[in-house]
Amino acid sequence: KKEIVIVEEDIEDILEELRIELLEADVAYDVVEKLIENIKNELIGKKITPEDNIEEITLMAIKNAIKNILSQKKIDIYKIIEENRKKGKPTVIVFVGINGTGKTTTIAKLAYKLKNKGYSVVLAAGDTFRAGAIEQLEKHGKNIGVRVIKHKHGADAAAVIYDAIEHAKAKKIDVVLADTAGRQATNINLMDEMKKIVRVTKPDLVIFVGDALTGNDAIYQAEEFDKAVGIDGVILTKVDADAKGGAALSIGYAIGKPILFLGVGQRYEDLIEFDPEWFVKKLFGEEEIRFSTEREF
Amino acid sequence: MLEKMSENLTKAINKIKNAMFVDKKLIKEVVKDIQKALIQADVNVRLVLNLSKEIERRTLEEEPPKGLSKKEHIIKIVYEELVKLLGEEAKPLNIDPKKQNIILLLGLQGSGKTTTAAKLARYLQKKGYRPALICADTYRPAAYEQLKQLADKIHVPVYWDNKKPEEIVKEGLEKFKKADVIIIDTAGRHKEEKGLLEEMKRIKAITNPDEIILVIDGTIGQQAKIQAKAFKEAVGDIGSIIVTKLDGSAKGGGALSAVAEIKAPIKLIGVGEKIDDLEEFNPKKFIARLLGLGDI
Repeated sequence: KKEIVIVEEDIEDILEELRIELLEADVAYDVVEKLIENIKNELIGKKITPEDNIEEITLMAIKNAIKNILSQKKIDIYKIIEENRKKGKPTVIVFVGINGTGKTTTIAKLAYKLKNKGYSVVLAAGDTFRAGAIEQLEKHGKNIGVRVIKHKHGADAAAVIYDAIEHAKAKKIDVVLADTAGRQATNINLMDEMKKIVRVTKPDLVIFVGDALTGNDAIYQAEEFDKAVGIDGVILTKVDADAKGGAALSIGYAIGKPILFLGVGQRYEDLIEFDPEWFVKKLFGEEEIRFSTEREF
Repeated sequence: MLEKMSENLTKAINKIKNAMFVDKKLIKEVVKDIQKALIQADVNVRLVLNLSKEIERRTLEEEPPKGLSKKEHIIKIVYEELVKLLGEEAKPLNIDPKKQNIILLLGLQGSGKTTTAAKLARYLQKKGYRPALICADTYRPAAYEQLKQLADKIHVPVYWDNKKPEEIVKEGLEKFKKADVIIIDTAGRHKEEKGLLEEMKRIKAITNPDEIILVIDGTIGQQAKIQAKAFKEAVGDIGSIIVTKLDGSAKGGGALSAVAEIKAPIKLIGVGEKIDDLEEFNPKKFIARLLGLGDI
């Protein structure tokens, strides 16, 4: 059979198209460049037959590369909870991220999910800074029937979370979900406060909450938060806003941590498990996905 | 704000400044650098491609005006095209002191509307106005408590009731007849939530606002253009844009895309969480700084 060797000119146009498509899907510039470069290295010099479709081969290569980035070592949150339960201690999860990405709402959704799976949950109102933050978490707690441990506005966030953990230990509660204030990674004081929270409360998991509508800033955010406290996993929010969600790829690439869930709406049930296969289809617009636009909050 | 973008653009500009000759190859190289800087700053990809094409075309076709070297001319073109994108002049928020002014805030979830509402009240208060706030967000838990806590600090009244947003707005307008500016905070919504966009339309019809302000998160990426378009289609003319969270690492290019899409100027920018962290926006100064040119 005749063989053809792929040369750069064969894939140039396809890669340029893919480049623009990925950029438009909000995959960060540096990540796109790196991906394209890797694909070039992989394909140039490769032998194919005349029957092979070079466009398809390129597309497959890029999809596989993306899947690899997204398929980081998984975290089984339920397994962690079960193991801690056996040891008779609560699982502590702290949520961090910049302002307005959806930490408080995500905590309510995850509490709802865990409760439905039969775990007992307590929430810690660790955002003692933003106006209305404590009240917001309390209303969620009331709506889903979960207790909220709080101090006054302006109180020490680490102390609130510590109290919630003590409460969980005393009452044999399975999970503590701790809210924290939104903070910009450029704000050294607030980043230090977050470090203190993690140092004092020694959580089982630190979850970074990122907004799917974020552009190139996603990389910087993830890297800085990871550097400061060590992120274990990621939840990406607002995926229902027709976001392609390239930020997932940027974050995964930047810090090499798994995406655990996606926030897909304004109801308590709108938190879905992350699936790389499904996500790649979504990224390339191969699947028309409709999310509910009903609102519970 | 926009430090990295500025850095990259300055690098591109310096490439021209330091070049021995300006030829086609150099121009292409510089245009590519500008492309990269703008895309990294989250400016819409298609917009960047068009913009860079225009810069390249003008640079190759146009003769430098008298007194300008070829190099200076390229820098001028880049500056002009970016300024064109942002709207030429600084456009302050216009308040008519002879009547009651109604300002309606809208935007995506978590973009910063509520904090901005309070900041705006503070900004107007400092200019001698007596603002009042209406919380027309009935979805988000404790939306009213949030706005109330912020407003209490600056002694600005807030109206809210456990009713439909349309009714809250009607009653609030009735209650605040003496205020000279009324700022209406609304719930976050996005383009897929058609019902909520309809609700937005109804609130607009009731309030007949003097100014509709789109509040945009400085970190937003490629979605900025299409979301801004959906808001414009729902409420008609959006008078201005406020970009938030520019104290962080975001470069704010997504906001530029929204500006280009809905042809509304950025009037103010949010630069922190404190109530006084709102600044007036000046496009020319901003681009000049972006390009490391100083004041032109």
